[in-house]
Amino acid sequence: MSGYRFDRFKVLVVDDNIHMRKLVTTILQAFGVIQIYEAENGDRAWAILREANPDVVVMDWMMEGMSGIELTRMIRTNPQSPNPFVPVIMLTGHTLIEDVAEARDAGINEFIAKPVSVKTMMQRLVAVIEHPRPYVRTGAYFGPCRRRRGDADYRGPERRSASATQQAAE
Amino acid sequence: MKREPIELFMPPNMLKAKAGSGPGGLDMAAVKRAEQAMETLKSEFADWLADDVGVLVAARTRYGQQPDAATRASLLRAAHDIKGQAATFNYPLIARVAGSLSRMIGDLPESATLPLSLIDAHVNAILVIHKQAMQDTGDKIALALCTELDARVDELLPK
Repeated sequence: MSGYRFDRFKVLVVDDNIHMRKLVTTILQAFGVIQIYEAENGDRAWAILREANPDVVVMDWMMEGMSGIELTRMIRTNPQSPNPFVPVIMLTGHTLIEDVAEARDAGINEFIAKPVSVKTMMQRLVAVIEHPRPYVRTGAYFGPCRRRRGDADYRGPERRSASATQQAAE
Repeated sequence: MKREPIELFMPPNMLKAKAGSGPGGLDMAAVKRAEQAMETLKSEFADWLADDVGVLVAARTRYGQQPDAATRASLLRAAHDIKGQAATFNYPLIARVAGSLSRMIGDLPESATLPLSLIDAHVNAILVIHKQAMQDTGDKIALALCTELDARVDELLPK
């Protein structure tokens, strides 16, 4: 079986740390990706997004100025976003459950907790290629469906209808 | 219960169209190539970490001179970067100490002043571990130091 045609991908890597950008681009190049764009902050990333319209975005969370979370929200909801569906893989040192939930609620597709490993990077790429999630639009959210798996036995209220906090208040 | 309209849809899988049928799972040939590339890159890791530690020391100096929200945020970013990267660069103990430092900075309320002595204890520990190139997690003295720093941060943070 031949491999994926990563050479056809355009990938944007957003990280304010030059070493992490080099690490990620080295991995992507070894996978076969040729068109890699690098941005050291959210503003530059936004400009590249609009110019190059990449197929995948790999981004850090904590950056000076616009954070990865804010950039993801812009990608998903800004009317000038060239592709609100572009897969976003967040690479971060944040590892708490509430961090994962915050990233998910901003509209990221996949999450990689540092330290970075080659296999994890491949797993997340395969996930966005082979198992894309449907997209959801509600009054409070637009982005990939935040449910990993369906729960066939769930008989409660519709959980997509608003944020969890709002539902709890109701 | 208020109901909002929900739109659920599956956009065309443009990525799959570009990627081709592929192996349907991990592309192990590509993984192997990337692991070899990482091996080549490892010779640079010590220098990269030295750069990151330098950024942390500079951020600590700026915070000491002018402790405000901006310098605190820079210090947090520097510690957080090292927390995430040091393990990748084969310095897990440095990742642990930087994790303790970023926990202290991130979890202490903005209104609270960061204790410089405890910041320095973390920064100095990182400098020593880096200088002595401790890349394993078996050193008892270093482990005791990490445990002590964790405990000091625990004492400081609101319960």
